[in-house]
Amino acid sequence: MSSPFDINGGACVAMVGKDCVAIACDLRLGMQALTVSNNFPKLFNFGPSTFLGLTGLATDVSTVSDLFRYKVNMYRLREERNIAPQTLANLVSSSLYEKRFGPFFVSPVVAGVNYTTGKPFICGFDSIGCIDFAKDFIVSGTASEQLFGTCEGLWEPDMSPDDLFETISQALLSAVDRDALSGWGAQVYIIEKDKVTKRLLKGRQD
Amino acid sequence: MDKLIAQYTRSSHQNEFYSEQEQHDLTESHPPLSLKFSLPPIDDSRAFLRAMTDDHSNPSCPIKLAHGTTTLAFRFQGGIIVATDSRATAGNWIASQTVKKVIPVSRLSRGEDKPTDAPTPGLLGTMAGGAADCQYWLRYLSQQCTLHEIRHKRRITVAAASKILANLTYGYKGYGLSMGTMLAGMTPQEGPALYYIDSDGTRLPGNLFCVGSGQTFAYGVLDANYRYDLSEEEALELGRRSILAAMHRDAYSGGFINLYHVKEEGWVHHGFNDMNPIFWKTKLEKGEFSNVTSEL
Amino acid sequence: MADRYSFSLTTFSPSGKLVQIEYALNAVNSGVTALGIKATNGIVLATEKKSSSPLIDPPSLSKISLITPDIGMVYAGMGPDYRVLVDKARKVSHTGYKRIYNEYPPTRILVQDVARVVQEATQSGGVRPYGVSLLIAGWDEGVEPDSGDVQQIDEDGEPKKATGKTGGIMKGGPSLYQVDPSGSYYPWKATAIGKHATSAKTFLEKRYTEGLELEDAIHIALLTLKETIEGEMNGDTIEIGIVGPPADHLLGYEGVECSQGPRFRKLTKEEIEDYLTNL
Repeated sequence: MSSPFDINGGACVAMVGKDCVAIACDLRLGMQALTVSNNFPKLFNFGPSTFLGLTGLATDVSTVSDLFRYKVNMYRLREERNIAPQTLANLVSSSLYEKRFGPFFVSPVVAGVNYTTGKPFICGFDSIGCIDFAKDFIVSGTASEQLFGTCEGLWEPDMSPDDLFETISQALLSAVDRDALSGWGAQVYIIEKDKVTKRLLKGRQD
Repeated sequence: MDKLIAQYTRSSHQNEFYSEQEQHDLTESHPPLSLKFSLPPIDDSRAFLRAMTDDHSNPSCPIKLAHGTTTLAFRFQGGIIVATDSRATAGNWIASQTVKKVIPVSRLSRGEDKPTDAPTPGLLGTMAGGAADCQYWLRYLSQQCTLHEIRHKRRITVAAASKILANLTYGYKGYGLSMGTMLAGMTPQEGPALYYIDSDGTRLPGNLFCVGSGQTFAYGVLDANYRYDLSEEEALELGRRSILAAMHRDAYSGGFINLYHVKEEGWVHHGFNDMNPIFWKTKLEKGEFSNVTSEL
Repeated sequence: MADRYSFSLTTFSPSGKLVQIEYALNAVNSGVTALGIKATNGIVLATEKKSSSPLIDPPSLSKISLITPDIGMVYAGMGPDYRVLVDKARKVSHTGYKRIYNEYPPTRILVQDVARVVQEATQSGGVRPYGVSLLIAGWDEGVEPDSGDVQQIDEDGEPKKATGKTGGIMKGGPSLYQVDPSGSYYPWKATAIGKHATSAKTFLEKRYTEGLELEDAIHIALLTLKETIEGEMNGDTIEIGIVGPPADHLLGYEGVECSQGPRFRKLTKEEIEDYLTNL
């Protein structure tokens, strides 16, 4: 039995730029060596300029994204406002810790631009909700070690949205090309204060 | 005096038979090299090695070997097509995308892979399983083939060469060797000959084999389109397309498509090409791989 | 199981009234008056601290309570019921919000949570409704970005005229709510509850103006209280809570960036007496 985190494969990365953030994921869903789907996005939208990325066990990726869709919709109805990235991060953390002794096998990433302050925000989590606040980038998934390498090499502070797109795309594509369990195309979101751009990357199909 | 006589005297039949040493060399399944392999200093070193290296039965085994491959070879009217991917993985880590998994096994072509159109005489071996095991024992096989050629003044048959390898792997059965290999060649005695040999000691002659983690995907395409009377061009395309399918669906196969054609005069290399442009060409021009989205 | 055989005491009368709730309101209306006034830059809550005997040690009595650093509460009606509600409000602000989002609930959310507790007592088996009405005052930071141009700085360098924040989750600013024993809640600019609520509200209607500032609101609160108070008015008999600028001096430390003192605080005896002398 391999680790539940490595059964389906997948990778996700988020990066901070100047007044913008980017979040990207691959599109593979596999069962061990067998690639089942080439169209399994791992990024989910939770309000304007707030995104959650989920890698790990695919069934938990679906369940957890549905759970947060419910929780965030309830939040929006109750409070008549959109959830801020920081607030979503704390919601994710407390919700994951609720399952401390039977966790979801996911490694979430939150990325967004705060509507009130206009400041970019990213963070990552372990599967039981420990938050990793970062000023530069967050990586997760089966290609996380490769992503650490590419991000350390390519990231620099205060990138423009265009530069950030180029950097996160190169970082992700290079990383997944060295991981057997992720790749098969990628999705990138560039998030600015009042604009979100979605792009599809054609990756290697092996 | 006796000593002197003994020095110049021979028994009458001494040179008519193989010496004891020669007999031993020819019948012993373990090569003399085997003495140089140090084994774990443990009573049952075989069981220990199996526990340490067999990641199929024990995924957390401490000694990880490079695995994962797709290789195929098939006989057809024009000879034998041999095709492989080029990926080497250690766990989920892609260690290389440019591995040459077709290994020429012959005296004349050993150690060089000449980019000429002229066929190179000799056998081809394919590599699946442990990279080191395949490389080492195919080189060993190459040496044995060369020795055979020198001793017998003619090239070794594929049947004989495959048997050397199979006896070898059988001799080491249980010590944790990991290889699944195909030997392809054409000799005047046999015509086109193809054998499958693996580290369990299996040795099978056949028309068509796929070996490695991506074998099922390759079989799928190959079986559906295979005919013995394929033209040379069709056969090369079928080999390429089968490897492509396996590279696409199998996580542990990928990289470059390595294509060989074995004919009467020897083997011809038909390129070592990146799969990615070939994939998109196949998808966009032939409308295959419609499962892959190319638009947002 | 005891609760299997316990029925709700609050049951409809044939005319469609819940008389238990009306009785609870009677308890409120015989309680000591409390009032709240919303200003542009804060809120004041005020009440009389009435003791039945001169032997009672006044400082131990407290009718205005802090719920979260930015939200405070006062009551009219039954003291013990209020104490229970303060505990529940403080608890629910953590279990239902801070432990989930790592931030304190906006005023309206807290009011809703408290109102739910109050409402559940009107529909559950074996319990009676709470005999209190509450005034809940709080400040919200707001979600919309600061426009920055509304703020004016006076000569002391203090932000004088408040921001465009007029209350609510989106805009931010002060909000003042009343919660009744039925579980219903209302937002107010200024209101009073308890024995002299009607006359106090009439007084407030006369004195309240738009664009009121906190200092003026405290002044009006004391004047209103003076109209209805039965005994002497001094620092011991009056209780005042304000929602105002962050009280960083109450943090107990300084020099830590991004940490802000509570906006809700109770005025000290001395502060109240200062206001009273200027009345």
